[in-house]
Amino acid sequence: MTARVVAFAVVIVALALFPSVAGNYPVKLLQEILIWGVFAMSLDLLMGFTGMVSFGHSAFFGLGGYVAALALLQSPGALAGLVLPAAAAALVALVVGFLSIRVSGVYFIMLTLAFSQMFFAVTFQVQRLGAEDGIVGVPRPRILGVDLAGATAFHLYLVALLALLAILLWRIVQSPFGHVLRGIHENEARMEAVGYPVRRYKLLAFVIAGSVAGIAGALYTQLNGYISPDAFFWTTSGEALLMVIIGGTGTLAGAVLGAAAFILLQSLVSTYTERWMLILGVTFIVFVLFAPGGIVGTMRGAARTARAWPRRAGAARRALRRQA
Amino acid sequence: MPVPILADVFAQTLNGLSYGVLLFLLSVGLTLIFGMLDVVNLAHGSFYMLGAYAGLALIAATGNFWLALIAAPIVVGGLGMLVERTCLRPLYRRPPLDQILLTFGFIYLFEDVVKWIWGGRIRSIPSPALFSGSVTLFGATIPSYRVFVIVFGLTVAAALWALIERTRLGSIIRAGVFDAEMTAGLGINVHRVFTGVFGFGAALAALSGVIAGPIQSAYPAMGTEILVRTLIVVVVGGLGSLKGSLAGSLIIGQAETFGKAWLPDTAMLIIYVVMALVVLLRPQGLFGRPLK
Amino acid sequence: MRALTRRQFLAGTSLAATSVAVGGWARPGHAQGGPVKIGLVLPYTGVYAVLGESITQAMELVFARENWTVAGRKIEMIKEDDEMKPPVGIRKTEKLIDSDKVDILTGPVHSGILMGMRDKVHSSKTILIVSNAGADAISRDRCSKWIFRASFSNWQPNAPMGPWVAKNVAKEVFIAAPNYQAGKDQLGAFKETFVPAGGKIIGEDYPKLGETDYAPYLTKIRQSGAKAVYAFFSGTDAVNFVKQYDQFGLKQHVRLTGAGFLVEPDVLPAQGNAALGVVSGHFYTPLLDNAVNQRFVKEFKEKFGGKMPDGFACQGYDTAETIVRALKAVNGNTQDKDKLVAVIEKTEFESPRGHFRFDPKTHNVIQPFIYVREVKEVAGGLNNVVIDKIASVADPGTGCTLPA
Repeated sequence: MTARVVAFAVVIVALALFPSVAGNYPVKLLQEILIWGVFAMSLDLLMGFTGMVSFGHSAFFGLGGYVAALALLQSPGALAGLVLPAAAAALVALVVGFLSIRVSGVYFIMLTLAFSQMFFAVTFQVQRLGAEDGIVGVPRPRILGVDLAGATAFHLYLVALLALLAILLWRIVQSPFGHVLRGIHENEARMEAVGYPVRRYKLLAFVIAGSVAGIAGALYTQLNGYISPDAFFWTTSGEALLMVIIGGTGTLAGAVLGAAAFILLQSLVSTYTERWMLILGVTFIVFVLFAPGGIVGTMRGAARTARAWPRRAGAARRALRRQA
Repeated sequence: MPVPILADVFAQTLNGLSYGVLLFLLSVGLTLIFGMLDVVNLAHGSFYMLGAYAGLALIAATGNFWLALIAAPIVVGGLGMLVERTCLRPLYRRPPLDQILLTFGFIYLFEDVVKWIWGGRIRSIPSPALFSGSVTLFGATIPSYRVFVIVFGLTVAAALWALIERTRLGSIIRAGVFDAEMTAGLGINVHRVFTGVFGFGAALAALSGVIAGPIQSAYPAMGTEILVRTLIVVVVGGLGSLKGSLAGSLIIGQAETFGKAWLPDTAMLIIYVVMALVVLLRPQGLFGRPLK
Repeated sequence: MRALTRRQFLAGTSLAATSVAVGGWARPGHAQGGPVKIGLVLPYTGVYAVLGESITQAMELVFARENWTVAGRKIEMIKEDDEMKPPVGIRKTEKLIDSDKVDILTGPVHSGILMGMRDKVHSSKTILIVSNAGADAISRDRCSKWIFRASFSNWQPNAPMGPWVAKNVAKEVFIAAPNYQAGKDQLGAFKETFVPAGGKIIGEDYPKLGETDYAPYLTKIRQSGAKAVYAFFSGTDAVNFVKQYDQFGLKQHVRLTGAGFLVEPDVLPAQGNAALGVVSGHFYTPLLDNAVNQRFVKEFKEKFGGKMPDGFACQGYDTAETIVRALKAVNGNTQDKDKLVAVIEKTEFESPRGHFRFDPKTHNVIQPFIYVREVKEVAGGLNNVVIDKIASVADPGTGCTLPA
């Protein structure tokens, strides 16, 4: 347990210190990775742990982003930057979740997709929300007396939030509640038979995931000072799914790794070749076909194989001796 | 002089029909694939796009629209069968999500390959010389090509109905859609039927793309844009139902057309609301199988 | 337990390794005497890549003429693909400003990207010469002393067309544009001058951006009884709209007019004969007969395999020409930014579009002419032939308080 805590602390410190060894652009990429990582982690809670595949998760990301944009333009503070977006996302998640959880499987996917597209349609048309161009010029908030317009302050703020949210999600997943969610993922009928109010658990998971996604969206607005209807489009949900799958479903850390892989592919590879989409598509297909555990799953598998070598080597030697 | 209201409505109805027919060709393939293989083929829009580009290439090479109309779906259908055989079949034992995600990956792949070969700019596809003017029917003026699209689409719908309801192959497909395991139990090589149906669905999507080409030209993003519409049609009509596809596409076609003409600001929103309502109130759609 | 520790360790070390490798990107600022770095934020992939290429090619033409050296310093162009997506565009802008430390930034095509980069450019005091995006706001309430525009504002091609259409085409017009800020701006400018000139707006429609099937709108236009249409569409939308307009047989009954982008060379080939007879307003057409343009067209075609330059190329030419002249005027001193700004403000020269100068009030180009053109078949294919012109069009610049 302590080893895990230490490793986590090391990673967080490394992330916090990154700006001291790298220029603005790599730091910006890292910050985007952190934000998308949070978004993907929230989806992982829903998908990897509870087994609810949503193609409409971008609804909450976009909602958090827009609420933050509108609120921060009025008064840049913690209320506008974090609390309101999370609350708005949670509320909408409650309504959407309540309606969507009544169906499952493909229908759940379709319904969640429809909801996020509705948000897209509205923000795309409405002039007061900036229509197709979105909202620009959003200031960063002042939180606890610190003006986050400064680069270092903002970076530490992002890393701190990532750490807090990661710990929060980790605790949720490890808690009895999290175990029930996993039970539902494995066999919903059994959980119902045992007496758990499955729908209520699923709804709660949906709301938690939605609010965390909303925070991610708010952070996205704060990073770029900008939000547009693209945040709601169904391909944004798809990209988050991609990140979770590539990183490793049901691992939380995998979501962040997947986000890193996607963003680095999109930004780095696109500087060298125009064919980054092709590479992304092929990578994704390869992962789905051959590495369904994602990066983390593959690494765990490799680690297990590595640990098993002494045993296997010993068995092989014995087998050879027997043959001789 | 402004035109009398009846002619106005009739003209818009024709517009809605030509659009609905395109949606029908697309949604039929998607609904069959779902009914049969339990896969929501997100790459369906990509087959539509590939059809349009295949049509572009064939017309450029031969100058003959009708040849392209026949050949392009065959080519794309073959590609679909290849994809199914190599990538989807290994995933049958896995949860359906994996298959859906696989098709999502193919969206990126196909879109970029098309950009690579043809570049990102929009390409015009000429309509056949036979249908390049406009006609006036009952006071409504409409391009003759769109009349062709309506007639052609409805003919294909009739042919499909005949195929599915009246032939042995059709009954195999119907059986497979109803219960794939049982059909396998009857000794039919269901896997081969799956490959065939997937390819057939892709071919229909490509046919829609070729037909749509002279109206809306070809560009790489055309697949992802039409996909959501197609999903809506399939959901409203009922997953797995041919009749549902026809009903759904005609309804959505008219809804969107009249929405654009009379309620422009809410046009986009309306169809998503319709979709949500259907899933909530009648998830099996208009003609789908009742859910267990 | 141990496996997890290994995973975390792997993650930590790979992160550390990456940061070391990537930290090498943080290039130090260059000393005087090093190359002058010009950053380009443009689309090089996607439907609008045609525009990005045109602009870039014209800039290369100008710099090549100077042998890529001005005032003893080499010129270095750093191109970044913004994919016409604001998040990517903003990311690339920050890369160019923070990582590459460009001396002058140019681009973008997309107004959304321009609005998104505006604050970063302003706060970092980076000189930006806009080579396309027409968002009116950049010349109005969001203007900045560091931002110049060598292309156009959305207002400029449309405002002069109002009175012209009222006088020469029809007084009952149906207007249409995609439903986004640029669309509303362009039609807004047209309405502003068309109505006072005695014109009547019979109908107004804003199809969604990226609409593929304009049939419902075209039917509406037919039913409305309007004598003419004034439209703004660009890119894919322009191709589909003009083609479908022709398919519906509307051209014979309802004259199609609009902003120049409706029928620019990026869309004309795809439109083909459907575009014949369309009248549009623009600050450029390759058929202009002034000496600078004739030389420009000749050299452009020679250098780029017979390709005909378009309005976008002209914008690139003017951007590069401004940079060259300004650098010469300050003797290559890019460190004194205030002086560079002052010099750019006063830059004047003969451009392919006519006499080019900036409006000191808005830092926007004053169009020497807005040409009214008609698509006709000429030697070499379809092109925009000048049939009339309106002189000296400057953006009103309401709300711009320079120096800011």
